[in-house]
Amino acid sequence: MFGNVGGNRTFWIVVAILGACAFLWTVPTIFMVSLSLQSDENLIISTANVALGLIPWPFTIENYVRLLSYDDTPRWFFNSIVVACSSTVLVLLLSSAAGFAFARLSFPGRDVLYAFVLAGMMIPAEGVFISLYTMFADWKLHSTYFSLISPNLALPLGTILMTRFFKGIPKELEDAAEVDGASLWTIYSRIMVPMSIPALTTLGIVTFLWTWNSYLWPLVTAQSKEMYTVTVGLASTQQGYVDENFGRIMAQGVIASFPVVVLFLVFQRYLVRGIALQSK
Amino acid sequence: MVMARSDMAAGRHYRPAGSATSQLSAWRLSRAIQPYLFVLPFFAVYILFLIYPFFKNIWISTFDWNLLEVAFNPDAREEVGLQNYERVLLGRNLIWSFGHNIELKLVLLAVALAAAWGWFRQWWGSTAAFSTAFLALIIAFALGFHPGEKGRWFDGNFWNAVRNTFVFVGLSVPTITLISLALAVFLNHQSRAMAVLRALFYLPSVLSVTVITLIWTFMFNPLQGLIGNVFRVFDAEPLVWVTNPDLAMPSIVIATVWWVLGFPMIVLLAGLQEIPTERYEAARLDGAGLWSIFLHITLPGLHRPLTFVVLYQVISQFQIFGQAHLLTEGGPGQATNTLVRYLYLTGFRDNELGRAAAMAFLLFCIMAVASFIYLRLSSREER
Repeated sequence: MFGNVGGNRTFWIVVAILGACAFLWTVPTIFMVSLSLQSDENLIISTANVALGLIPWPFTIENYVRLLSYDDTPRWFFNSIVVACSSTVLVLLLSSAAGFAFARLSFPGRDVLYAFVLAGMMIPAEGVFISLYTMFADWKLHSTYFSLISPNLALPLGTILMTRFFKGIPKELEDAAEVDGASLWTIYSRIMVPMSIPALTTLGIVTFLWTWNSYLWPLVTAQSKEMYTVTVGLASTQQGYVDENFGRIMAQGVIASFPVVVLFLVFQRYLVRGIALQSK
Repeated sequence: MVMARSDMAAGRHYRPAGSATSQLSAWRLSRAIQPYLFVLPFFAVYILFLIYPFFKNIWISTFDWNLLEVAFNPDAREEVGLQNYERVLLGRNLIWSFGHNIELKLVLLAVALAAAWGWFRQWWGSTAAFSTAFLALIIAFALGFHPGEKGRWFDGNFWNAVRNTFVFVGLSVPTITLISLALAVFLNHQSRAMAVLRALFYLPSVLSVTVITLIWTFMFNPLQGLIGNVFRVFDAEPLVWVTNPDLAMPSIVIATVWWVLGFPMIVLLAGLQEIPTERYEAARLDGAGLWSIFLHITLPGLHRPLTFVVLYQVISQFQIFGQAHLLTEGGPGQATNTLVRYLYLTGFRDNELGRAAAMAFLLFCIMAVASFIYLRLSSREER
């Protein structure tokens, strides 16, 4: 807004001020990474070795090496990967199929069903996690991938986003296919899905981030240590942390954030679009 | 291509003529069923894992349901009607007086008046304005209840948690909104530098709550934390944050603002891009200053995304759990115990599932107004 108002100099002043703010904003993250790269022996004496602790010196990667053998960290990481990836794939399948039907097909009861999906947006996770707990307890399915994954799939937002997206695709191709006598399944899988790759990417990123970071439900359902996700595992070490180990705990935090940060950096554009789409 | 298509079209045309009309009607029938097959998988999990649990939660809330006892013996639960709600909400010798919580009442009254004013000036739609005003007045009225002489709440901790949650929402949502608005306005420029800055401000949002609480535990730690290090440079005694009754809530707010700011910033940036540039140019030609451009063009142009941001933040910040659970552990004392944390502890530490379910339903009710307006706003464009 102000960029083209005051000319070049004003622009660079604004950038400089904002840059300083952005640096401050990044400092906590840098602090975590920096601590993770220093040895515990050093950190016990002081965390402010160089530049208040923001530069990891004396430098070491021993925390990361130790993590490979420590506790269940690799296992937790694996669990999170399994849970986040399968939740994402399944959400994409369910939401795109339902979104296709809502946006492109007319059938009795469609509008009522869609309103029913919208109403689901009002139910917060806390409103259902107690009964979900009793359900999985009855089925004796706690501490399984099934219990970690399945509640993630009841995501009304996914269906709503896909419905909105499909409504925006021009109808010509589909009509042509219809004339050719293509079945709905063919139209869905051969035309709609390929055309919605950008939207699916967006929804996929949002879902992955959300399931990777979810805390309350895994905390309740993962009752054995081997079935923790990284978020729950990290919280468990954090709560019982002892002063001597915080280099390692920080390394754990960095590892836990690594996939989502990479994903964010690679797919930034899609994520931004997903956010803009949600607010519409 | 054209040939193939006409061939196939012809093929379809021939099909019913061949065998019988029964084939056509079978085709029609399958065509009528197919849409349902597309929505079926989603609805199966949606109903099983969201709708059914929601109603089951209400059902559980009418039981005295001890988690451990019921796990061993399903008959150990006892139906108690609305007793859980009574135990959570009410107390002995409750009275209502005008002067109780008068400061908060005045604030809420101001909110109601602001909503009415917003509606009058046509900044706000009638649904949003009236439900906000209505909600503010209801809460203001409810704040007048308190235990009289020799009276007490049955569950004082619950009301403490509700109060803390409202304080947290009241502190964090305006802060988040204002900072993200400022950032969006200044970062709204197509250039490399701005794109990098936007990414830096957004970055914390992709981290999980356990990571951000880990980071801020060490930021705030007076002995080993970064803020403490800065204090020591100036030879000052480092502040004690998370265990300090006055600073525990602010430290949760700081960590939260830092964490979630990216999302509203992006929403507002998207909103800014939809304001036509001609309006700015026209204003500039009229000799309007930057501040007046912001006030008369930017702000009104952002009315919808701003409403969205505020509602979305109210809804999501109301569900605060991780920060209070991990950063301060609800303390010191009960100073930062929030509703969802209390609900979680009631259910899974004290094993009182029935009472926790009642609280979960109450949480839903408190949030329902905000999420209803949110829903209305977000589905309006589709109609």
